[in-house]
This record gives sequence, C-alpha cells and structure tokens, in this order.
Amino acid sequence: MTREIRIALTGNPNVGKTTLFNALTGSRQHVGNWPGVTVEKKTGKVSRNGCEFEVVDLPGTYSLTAYSADEVIARDFILDEKPDVVVQVVDATNLERNLYLTTQLAELRTPLVIALNMADMAEAQGNPIDYRKLSGFLEIPIVRTVGTRGEGLQDLLDAAVKEAKTSPHHEHTIGYGNEAEEMIAKLTDPLSADRTLSGKYPLRWLAVKLLEGDENVLAKVRGGAASARVQSILSSINSDEYEATMADKRYEAIAAILPQVHRTNTRGTTFSDMVDRVVTNRYLGIPIFLALMWGAFELTFTVATPFMTVIDTLTVWLAEFAVASIEPAWLGSLIGDGIISGVGAVLIFLPNILILFLILALLEDSGYLARAAFIMDRPLYALGLPGKAFIPMLIGFGCNVPAIMATRSIESEKDRLISILVNPFMSCSARLPVYVLFAGAFFGAHAGGVMFFLYVLGIAVAIASAKLFRSTILPGEVSPFVMEMPPYRLPTAMTSLMHMWSRGSMYLRKAGTIILLGAMLVWALASFPYGVEYGSAESFAGMLGHLVEPLVAPLGFDWKVAVALIFGFLAKEVVVGSLGVLYGAGEESLTDALFADPSLSAATALALMVFVLLYMPCVAALGVIKKETGSWKWTGFAVAYGIVVAWVLAFVVGHLAPFFIGGA
Amino acid sequence: MEGTCPLALLAAGTEAKVTDVRAGRGMQARLLGMGFCPDARVTVQCADRGSIIVSVGDARYALSRGIAMKIFVGIAKGSA
Repeated sequence: MTREIRIALTGNPNVGKTTLFNALTGSRQHVGNWPGVTVEKKTGKVSRNGCEFEVVDLPGTYSLTAYSADEVIARDFILDEKPDVVVQVVDATNLERNLYLTTQLAELRTPLVIALNMADMAEAQGNPIDYRKLSGFLEIPIVRTVGTRGEGLQDLLDAAVKEAKTSPHHEHTIGYGNEAEEMIAKLTDPLSADRTLSGKYPLRWLAVKLLEGDENVLAKVRGGAASARVQSILSSINSDEYEATMADKRYEAIAAILPQVHRTNTRGTTFSDMVDRVVTNRYLGIPIFLALMWGAFELTFTVATPFMTVIDTLTVWLAEFAVASIEPAWLGSLIGDGIISGVGAVLIFLPNILILFLILALLEDSGYLARAAFIMDRPLYALGLPGKAFIPMLIGFGCNVPAIMATRSIESEKDRLISILVNPFMSCSARLPVYVLFAGAFFGAHAGGVMFFLYVLGIAVAIASAKLFRSTILPGEVSPFVMEMPPYRLPTAMTSLMHMWSRGSMYLRKAGTIILLGAMLVWALASFPYGVEYGSAESFAGMLGHLVEPLVAPLGFDWKVAVALIFGFLAKEVVVGSLGVLYGAGEESLTDALFADPSLSAATALALMVFVLLYMPCVAALGVIKKETGSWKWTGFAVAYGIVVAWVLAFVVGHLAPFFIGGA
Repeated sequence: MEGTCPLALLAAGTEAKVTDVRAGRGMQARLLGMGFCPDARVTVQCADRGSIIVSVGDARYALSRGIAMKIFVGIAKGSA
C-alpha cells in the first residue's frame, strides 16, 4: 500500500476552497458567499485509483504574512505541518491578486499545484485563461476546476500525486532588484548558521520575510544562532520600504505574464455594483436591512404555524395515549409526561427553526451578509466595534457557537474579545421556541412583533455592552474595517436547502440527546421522592424550584419557571422542554396550559422571554468562549454579566410592560 | 496625473491609480495581498458612508476611511 498523500488547500478568501474540498472529499462543510466562512482547518479523506489522500481545507488568506487569527492557522499549517502538496485554489476571475499569493507560496519550495477555480465564470465573462501557458511561465502545474460542478477533480488529484513525488523542488523566486537582493544575501549568510531553522525553512524565504519585517519569522530567529547578526542587520533598514518594494516586484512579475495568458478587460459597472448602489445607499441601506429582518421574522412565525399545529396536536395525543395505556404507570408517565411532552414541546418548533435557517442560508449564500457588515460599520464604529463584528452577530441568530468561532477573522484581539463577549446576547435559534411558545400563548396576533422586539433588544444589549466594555475594561482604538465584498450570487434552491437541513438536523439531534436527557432529568426530579404527587411542591423539582424561587420572585417567576431556567443552561430549548414536563401531559397543549396558569401573565411572560434571551450562554457556547478566549476569567465574566443584565432588564420589562399592554 | 491624494478623498465614480500604500505592519501586507499595489487601477464605487467601496480589478473591497487615507492615488486625467 502506498502512503497517504496530504494535500492542503489554500488561497484567498472566498475563492471556493471549501466547495472544492466538499467536492473532493464528499464532506458537507459549511460554504457561504462571504470572506471568512472557514476559520478552522478541516480534514477529509478521499481515495482514488489506489491512492489515499488526506485533504486539509484551510482558512483563506491574502498573503503569508498573517494578520488575523484565521490567517495564522492557514500560514502555520503550511509552514510547520509540511503537507505533501499545497494546492492553491485560485479565483480565475481575479487572477492578478490571487497570483500574488502564488509568488509567496512558490518561495516556500513546497510542492505546489494551482487549481484554477471558477474557470467557467471567467470564460463566461469573456476572459478565458490560457492556463497551459500560464503554467509554463510559473513552472507550476495548473488544473482547471469548477468546484460547484465537480469538474477537474481527477486531474487535480493526478497533478497533486505527480507533484508530491517529484523531487527536489526548485525554488521559484522573483528577483527583487539589486538593493533588496544584496540585503537578502547579507541575511542568508548568518541564517545558514542556525541549523534548526535552515533545516526547516528555505533560507531565501526566511531572509525575504525578515526583510519585510515579518514578526513571526523574527520570533523564530530570535534566540537562535543567527539572532544577534540578523538583528544588527535589520536594525539598519526600514522594513516598510522593503516590503513595499518587494510587493512591487511581485506584481511587476505578474503584470509581465498576465497579458500573455488572458485579455485583461476589467468589467466596468457590474450587476453587483448596481445592487450595491441601492442596498448600501446612505438613506436606504439601514431601512432595507431592517425591512429584511422584519420580513424574516414574520415569515419565521407565520409560515410555520400550520405545521406547528399538526406537530402540537400529534404530541399531545401521543403523550396522553402513552400515559393512559402504558403499564406500569410510572413507565407510562416517564414516556408520556417526560419524554414525549419534553422533547415534543421542543420539536414543535422545528418548522420555525428550519425557516430561520433557510433565511440565514439565503443571506449567506447571496452575498448580502458582507453588505450588512458594511452598512453597520459606521453605527458599530461609533459604539466601539468594527463593522466586521456584525457578521458573527448575524450568524448568532442561528447559533452562538459557530458565531463565536467566526470572530477569528477580526484582526484586533480586543475587538475580537468584545465580539465574543457580546455574541451570546444575539438571540440564537434555541431561544426561538421559548418566544414562540410564550408570545403565542400570551400575545396572539402580536406575537411576531413581540419576537421582533426581543431580537432587537438582543442586538441593543450586545451593542450597549460593547460600548460599555470599550469604555471601561477593554479600552482602545477600533481596528480599521477592511473587507472584501463578494459579487452577489443567486443562491440555488439545492444548496440553500442543504444548508438549512444540515443545521436543522443538528437541532433534531440535539432534541434526541441533550434535550431528551434534560426532559428525563426534570421528569425524575418531578416524580421523586417516591410517593409524592407528580410535579408537586414536595417533589425534588419542587424543592429545587422553591430554593431558587426567592431569587427570581421579584421578576414574577414561580418555582416551575425557576426549574426550567436552571436546566435551560444545558440548552435554551430545555426551558421549553422542562415546562412541557412540569405541566405534564394533559388534554390541552402546553400553550393552553401556560395561558391557563394564574401565576403567569402577559407581563411575566415578556419578562421571562427577556430573561431567557439574556441570562447566560448555554453549555456549548460557554465551551467555545473558553476555547476562543483561552481564559476562565472571561468565561466566568460572560456568565456573571449575562445573569446581572438579564435580571435587571427582565425586572424593568416586567414592571413596565403592564402600562403598555393594558394590565397584568 | 495631477498629483496624488489619499483614496479616501475621492468622490464616487472616480478612477485612479495607486501610487503608494503606507498602512503599517500587518495591514500593509493585507492591502498588498488584496491588490492595492502601486499602479493598480482603482475605482471608488460608493463613498457616502463612513467606509467606502473600492474596486480593484474585478474585486470589490469595503475600506474604512482611516485605511483609505493611507492609500495614495493619482487621479487619471479626464475623470471627475
């Protein structure tokens, strides 16, 4: 058996690396039309013609000088993990800029293959690329690929195998002009004395990076055998100048080749530009954005209603049936009151969740997400966050876990920390069941408006908190906004539906695991000690609830709500699941049972929704906050801050609401 | 050419050529990688907000005005 060949996919952001990765490995990694979708390296396997491949999908990067956390991941993998072949995925419609990265990769002496992706689009625009000729100029194998249709995959793998087995690899370098070359030679000399370094990286590449003032490479040199001499050479030069000159030389080299391989006719005003003139307009931009959001939440609520009614009726009937007909009675109660009522209470909201995910998928796939960040840049900047931070916030409407990961593309550490800390206030889909349940029970026709209020409240709290953190514990300048605006693409029904389903099925899996567990736990607490009336104050659940009740009593919550809130820490849907269990299986649905409970009023329901929106990140979100901040201190802060804010706002809302909604 | 000025000061629709980029560590490399190199042709697409949208070749970038102040351009004769 031959050994496995490890291929790393690299390239500029949003050139289709992940689409190609999915096509190669049959994976279903998340793809979207905005820069920064992939923030973690992803691995997949494929075997073709007796060859085993491990394919690694890396975050996008514009150059090998890393600036943000996701770029560091991409660069370190190529430098330190030494994959057998690096495949640079190149956007054929943006050749010049993509080849700039090529000139840097070529200096690494790593086996390199170019996948000329989106080749069909370049051809459709009347810019076909003579890639054989280009390959000759660059001395790098080039394969034409169309990731979305899976074209050129076999050729790409063949080229990768061939390149991996070719050795030695000659350096493809660019001449940087006399002055720079002299400095490179001067630096190479002491560098060759550092055995560990010269064994690992090409000397010329090290010298070039040092000349550019690359902090990361300088850190590698520091403390080694070459340290003193290199630093004395570098102290005499202005690396900014060299960086600019060498970049010029690279672009000059590219400019010399390009006219020979394709017609460089830049399109003037494109369809995307025309759309942008409207959606990013000074006066229209924000109203359009808000209208889209409003429409999204109206849809989430109205379209789903008939489906919900069906699931609701089915759940109630099943639970009743289980309690009535399964022997022994305790098992019937576990299945009926516990599992079916608990999990069913959450499953009812699958239609809402699916619609929400579909809308998010459409936003991501169309390219509008990047525009939303652009529109919000100014208001966010004024409040102490870069516009880029708005993307994780919108992703947070789906789930805070990937949203917090998405902050990796934010360059400044402080900006990133603030974005992480405020993200849990963005109302994720797990909170939706709570709103739908309570808004539906207490606000009837105005339920859509109430939900919209909650989402806006979440954004407002996130933004106000960002402002607060910026002016107190994390002071500093907002990092400047630089972001690519990808061309708009018409999302295909297939990809958007797949998007929706891959996330929707996660919700289902969650219902079958953590929510099921939560429901059974609450059932057990409500049933024991043996002999107590189910769900009464004498049960364990009752005792636990009464213990916590004083803390939430000022908000108008009774012990049942308190228990639900405690278990909601596992996942916010569990709040609904727990209430489903505690109110048990009756002839009425949970909505009616809540409405009939005299201890709950519209004002209390609103306070409860506000509390659930804000009170603390779920276990999964806390895990990712710890991972991304690397600090228990900040993780603990996120919990404590959330609880305090939730309590205060729920108190205020609960006490003010009666004046607006006509009595409690 | 009629002298250089920062990209941030151009009106929407203006075409220009980059003459110099001075954005400091990290950001400099990012901008160069994005195609903002000397002689690159840029067009301001949108300039009525805190940030601007600029096209470089077929790519479109949103840049805050702070960054756009650090990219110097020469305005081609004849355009606004």
